[in-house]
Amino acid sequence: MATPGTMIAAVERCASEIDDLDTLVRLHWPRVFRFALASLRDPDAAGSVAQDCFLRAYRGRQRFRGECSTEAWLMRIAVNLIRDYARNRRLQFWKRAQTSAVDLDAVGQWVPDGGASPESGAMAKEQLAAVWNAAGGLSERQRTVFLLRFVEDMDLLEIAAATGMKEGTVKVHLFRALQAVRERIGRSQ
Amino acid sequence: MSQHLSSQEISRWMIGERTPQQEQHVCQCSQCGAELDRLEAALALFRGSVRHWSGRQVHVPRPLAPTRRSRGYPARPLPMRWALVAAALLVLAAVPIYRNAQDRQHQAEIARADALLLEQVDAEVSRAVPRPMEPLAKLVSWDFTSTDERDQNRRDTTRNEEIR
Repeated sequence: MATPGTMIAAVERCASEIDDLDTLVRLHWPRVFRFALASLRDPDAAGSVAQDCFLRAYRGRQRFRGECSTEAWLMRIAVNLIRDYARNRRLQFWKRAQTSAVDLDAVGQWVPDGGASPESGAMAKEQLAAVWNAAGGLSERQRTVFLLRFVEDMDLLEIAAATGMKEGTVKVHLFRALQAVRERIGRSQ
Repeated sequence: MSQHLSSQEISRWMIGERTPQQEQHVCQCSQCGAELDRLEAALALFRGSVRHWSGRQVHVPRPLAPTRRSRGYPARPLPMRWALVAAALLVLAAVPIYRNAQDRQHQAEIARADALLLEQVDAEVSRAVPRPMEPLAKLVSWDFTSTDERDQNRRDTTRNEEIR
């Protein structure tokens, strides 16, 4: 159980981490960028969102009270920025999402070989494409919790902190997202 | 529990909601185990592909991350950095002093040139004859008196001689 002393130490550690922008960026940029990239599927947009995220975090560091980890706090800012970005550019976003075959070609090239047969390799690529397509078709909230859970390996409480949802709501969105993904995988076979 | 996991139960399992009976069933049932393995494998593939794609695209901004300096030259040690900073500060401080000294030297040169010019002007003004005409002035004895004055002078001279 956390004592007041350890909590204060944790808050101070987070505050000092946020004060040092260089360290903050070096430690967390890859994760924030990856989440933005998986959400928006556009490297330029993901770069802009990541940059805005760190800028906002640094400017708003006085408001950070250590109620969650630095990472969850950054992810929360990123989630909001991605939502705003997708809403502001809804038309372009969905046009791009519909023509995401280019992206799938690129990411589909990455399938670990592991000495598998050509048949199982082809099946793995199909499954991968099915998950990508399914993720692209999820609602904004479902996609967010799906990516945070299965790409960023965050637990339900961390996702709740990052999205501002209750844990039960996170579970519901995650359940629906998984159902959609499983259905898509089942169709691809 | 002898029934296979339903579609919803499989999704809940992936979220982490599982009962001891379900866990026991999955351990014994190859069909449910395979279904879960397949889903986990697909999600792991997705995670790997996202990370691979992101890893190729990501670059931490250089101005914000000076430690990503591994391209061509190694990071300088801290004392060396401080020495460079001190040298830069010294140069910055020396520039105004050097400029001030240069300005003062320049002002002194201008003052000397002005004094020399004034001396030359004074010398030219004080001459009876312009410098180019000085050779002629040496040859010719200039008498600036008028003819009447000269006659009067001559008469005075004669009278004085007669008196003597």
